[in-house]
Amino acid sequence: MPAPAEAGRAPGPPDGGWGWVVLVGAFVSIGFAYAFPKGLAIFFKEIQDFFGTSYSEIAWVSSISLATTYGAGCAQYLEVSDPQFRVGPISSILVNRYGSRPVVMFGGLLCGVGMISAAFCTSILQLYICVGFITGFGLALNLQPSVIIIGKYFLKRRPIANGLAMAGSPVMLCTLALLNQFLFDNFGWRGSFLILGAILLNCCVAGALFRPIGARTALVTAPVTEEGEDAVKRNITEDGPVENKPEEEGGKDCFEKINQYLDFSLFKHRGFLIYLIGNVLMFLGFFAPIVFLAPYAKHTGIDDYSAAFLLSILAIVDMFARPLTGIIANSRWVRPRIQYFFSFAIAFNGACHLLCPLASSYTGLIVYSSFFGLAFGMVCAMLFETLMDLVGAARFTSAVGLVTIAECCTILLGPPIGGILIDAFGDYKYMFIKCGTVMVLAGTFLFIMNYYNYRMLAKEEKERKTKEEDPKSVRTENEGKKNWNKDSTQDGPELEPLREKGEGVQKEMNGTIEV
Amino acid sequence: MPATFYGRCLGRLLLLLLLCTSVSGGSPTDPAMTTQDSNQTEVNSVTKMQAGHESSGPGVATEKLKPAGKENSYNVSAHEILLSGVSGAPLEKNVPVPSPAKVELTCKLDENSNLKNPQVTWKKGNETISHTSKTPNSWTVQLTISESSQLGSYSCILKSEKEVSAVFHLQVPKIEGKEKPVITYEGDRAVMVCKTEYNPKAWTWYMTNGTELVAIDKILPIDKFQIKRQSASVNRLEVLKLSKEDRGVYWCEAAFDLGSAKMRFELRVLSIMAPLKPFVAIVAEVAILVTTIFLYEVYSKRKGKGGEKELDQTERL
Repeated sequence: MPAPAEAGRAPGPPDGGWGWVVLVGAFVSIGFAYAFPKGLAIFFKEIQDFFGTSYSEIAWVSSISLATTYGAGCAQYLEVSDPQFRVGPISSILVNRYGSRPVVMFGGLLCGVGMISAAFCTSILQLYICVGFITGFGLALNLQPSVIIIGKYFLKRRPIANGLAMAGSPVMLCTLALLNQFLFDNFGWRGSFLILGAILLNCCVAGALFRPIGARTALVTAPVTEEGEDAVKRNITEDGPVENKPEEEGGKDCFEKINQYLDFSLFKHRGFLIYLIGNVLMFLGFFAPIVFLAPYAKHTGIDDYSAAFLLSILAIVDMFARPLTGIIANSRWVRPRIQYFFSFAIAFNGACHLLCPLASSYTGLIVYSSFFGLAFGMVCAMLFETLMDLVGAARFTSAVGLVTIAECCTILLGPPIGGILIDAFGDYKYMFIKCGTVMVLAGTFLFIMNYYNYRMLAKEEKERKTKEEDPKSVRTENEGKKNWNKDSTQDGPELEPLREKGEGVQKEMNGTIEV
Repeated sequence: MPATFYGRCLGRLLLLLLLCTSVSGGSPTDPAMTTQDSNQTEVNSVTKMQAGHESSGPGVATEKLKPAGKENSYNVSAHEILLSGVSGAPLEKNVPVPSPAKVELTCKLDENSNLKNPQVTWKKGNETISHTSKTPNSWTVQLTISESSQLGSYSCILKSEKEVSAVFHLQVPKIEGKEKPVITYEGDRAVMVCKTEYNPKAWTWYMTNGTELVAIDKILPIDKFQIKRQSASVNRLEVLKLSKEDRGVYWCEAAFDLGSAKMRFELRVLSIMAPLKPFVAIVAEVAILVTTIFLYEVYSKRKGKGGEKELDQTERL
């Protein structure tokens, strides 16, 4: 029961209740955003035959032809690059302005309309516009708001929530693969696109579940746990960046306006920069192995079906790895040091790739696929969680938009570089070695830099604590709020290793509130 | 400033997209390689093909008489099956022979197998053929295939304590098509594509009229049927302005020197109502769910406000 003094203030992230319903919506939404482009790979050959185009003629039409060249693997690589990275920043700006729910519902509507109109296309160009642009844009609008709203509804259980929501991708992938095959066999590609358009409208349902959580900035007397206080104090701001800027609209130039929606001051944020550099490096080697797994398997003499089965193993292990990672990341021992866990996951991924050339038999490749699925799931589950942990839920919206701009180049570079290596040496192992090395490097870099970051944060926390000890009895709530906001521009992680000191400060805050 | 930053990134994006697509032209998964792989029916068989034979098509296509001297210009292809010495079902291999050629078939025994010094016989049907032994563990027959009667199954039988055998099926190249029905809609067009690895002399398309095969050629209206030659080895039939009467079975036939190969397509023409029913059902489901969610939200908000008013009242008391 909220104490009388807090009647005007909304509580922080509920960490449950309606949050679980939101999680279901996010599961569906993220699942579609990631898995849908991949699932379309089944139709590509038929469409190519239908429109009578050869690969070279439509080479500039990227998605479809890339997918047919590399097959399922490329579609998998496109899954992330296409929707998320074309429109990442736009998505962030829209969410900052309008909130998650309208954006997802609009995105769902757009996807549906795109696929429905694709069913009536008469040329490959129209198809590319409908499927590639309209549907792709709609799916991209689904992805980020879903991740953002998880950050708003969960705090203590956020890693689990993230892990469960990201598990939507492999689950949807398996479902869509079977569904698409069934639809294609019964309705041909046009009928399938029509029905898939209707299915995509379910993203609107997911969006409808994203009830806006109207938490204003709050200093919470949530039940004191070992983990949550610092986080709860610093990160429960809803419209953080907007509130921080001056309220008057007139007299602002374009740059300031954009800065209002997309917080460029994040580039001064130490944790954000570390995350950015580490991830940019990691993505150079992240997707290429998936793209080339099936071709590599065929190259070693394995038949088509068994090669496809390897990818299925990957997806199934991935499906279970993500929630599991979420649970582990949420535990008491890992959560304060979640950045280390993330770096470990990346380095583990790299180690798998480095060992892959040693696996030349089918059994070896199965083992490799399982470990790869595990590592891939671990990294994906924590991809957004670590960013949230570093910058906090308030600035996460802008952070994720900025991150996608920066990452778009390396994501697109990864598989082509791998392809060049394969063509140049005629052997797949150099590609695996390159990917493995890059990821191990990224993991090590993140590990070292985060160690440094944690120490700096501990230092700053100590400094702040000594500052507070003086005016604590005079401070009002509002002043306290402003102090927290100011400080939150410098440090992000909610859970530094200083749990005991955090608890001490929390008790002081309790004292001031109940006055 | 942000706008140019976006512009630069977009520009880079497009450039990379172009780079991707041009690079992926040199994909390691060449279609030729994958179809070769798919020809391997048994794990133990190995194919060695010499480079020359694929170009035999146009050159040899014109000759109907086969003067003896011409045999020297035949291309040679060699095929081998590796036997492990484990008795069981005979290992098989399909050898496509598009045009008259010299074919070398070899049965090779694995050095680690238990079979020692077997007695080897090569047979076609019941007829024994003479063979040579190039190495202690391999036995080869050299065939000159110039007529379709010479195609068939050639087997090598190794007998000592156990008997193992392998079979080479020499046949006209197969056509790749669609085994599953081609599904199209009224008013749309249907496309059927036939593809082989080798270049046939001629392509013919047939449609079934009752039980008869009727050749689709220039006689039939050009605005209904279009036959397009995408390359020497790929041929496509387009059936335009579909209606329900167009459904049925279509055949594509590729004529080689030594015979012809056929592929069957089943065409199904659906009306637009077929997918429309599930479509409407799903859209209705979406609409109902969204409305329910919003109504529930409004309802619970009202309930919440009523509860809060009560709380304020109790506090004042």
